[in-house]
Amino acid sequence: MSTVRVNGVDLHVQVLTPTGVADPPTAVLLHGLATDSMASWYFTMAYPLVERGFRVVLLDLRGHGRSERPALGYALGDFVDDLDGLLDGPGPFLLLGNSFGGTVAFAYAARHPGKVSGVVSIESSPPTPVWFARLTNRLSQLAEAVSRPRTLVAVGAKRGARGTQRAQEAARLLAETSVREELPASRLPSRAQLQAITCPVLCLYGDRSHVVEMAPETQRLMPQAALRVFTGQKHSLLVDQPEDVRAAITSWMRTARLGGHDA
Amino acid sequence: MIPVDTPSVTAEVTRALQAVLGDFGADAPITPESTFRDDLGMESIDVVALAGRLQARYGAGVNLAQFVASLDVDSVRELRVGQLVDHIVLSMSAAGDRL
Repeated sequence: MSTVRVNGVDLHVQVLTPTGVADPPTAVLLHGLATDSMASWYFTMAYPLVERGFRVVLLDLRGHGRSERPALGYALGDFVDDLDGLLDGPGPFLLLGNSFGGTVAFAYAARHPGKVSGVVSIESSPPTPVWFARLTNRLSQLAEAVSRPRTLVAVGAKRGARGTQRAQEAARLLAETSVREELPASRLPSRAQLQAITCPVLCLYGDRSHVVEMAPETQRLMPQAALRVFTGQKHSLLVDQPEDVRAAITSWMRTARLGGHDA
Repeated sequence: MIPVDTPSVTAEVTRALQAVLGDFGADAPITPESTFRDDLGMESIDVVALAGRLQARYGAGVNLAQFVASLDVDSVRELRVGQLVDHIVLSMSAAGDRL
């Protein structure tokens, strides 16, 4: 089925395979923290990649979506271990990450530079101390927001009972697991390890999101990175502007000569 | 051989929906007219899980993931159970004709 046991945790995984392609390259789609799930990729980039001849792997990160939510194990390294356990074979893998998912992608690439053919980062940053300080802040703000009954009432009015349930699960991730302690205390890759990521990199940002402030440091660490800033867009760029995101990624893939073909 | 007539597929889709929604399923009964979002209250991650289950049941021939993934957020909201059933029945009988 669609549950895979990795590192002692049941992860919700979906694999989409192109028809009639022998030995297709693999693309892995990684979502963001707390309220996000594989769905934001599934309805935006998953099929366009299958049509380009990729085998597409989507997962719900531990503690998220329909994956198991263990009480402990939320340091950056735990998320990278899960990816390591899931991706067997020599690769190379094309990694696409939204928000925190992009950070996991860069961390995997820092651990296995030879196994990654490219990284697409949407509204994200490599795992640097400055970025982790921001993530820590963001986790506190989110924890505070979802602990207010008023927030749940507002979500319920907009998205119904099931939406409220999902918001409550994000609240439980923040309240009942170690994520707020372990993630900020994560051991981060060194600058040298991040600089050793030499594969093609594409970073997409919305100009109304503060994440774009991470762009200069990303460019210093990875001078090969192509950057695109979308006017008028927020942190929810992927979900809000799927067509523009799709166009930017496919044209970059063509330039970077990354596997797959034009559909 | 999996039965691919409309009543059998409807029953199968209903079972898969109940499994995906679990204890939090809508109180209203699941009918061909039920819409995914408004009647059944499904979140997008539930739709992904449903597609995965039905793909596993009916195989790659139904292109279910593609069918679902090709919908935008609004179309998913408006999608009715009967439309999904029709898609499966059509794809499976087309696949059968090719054999």
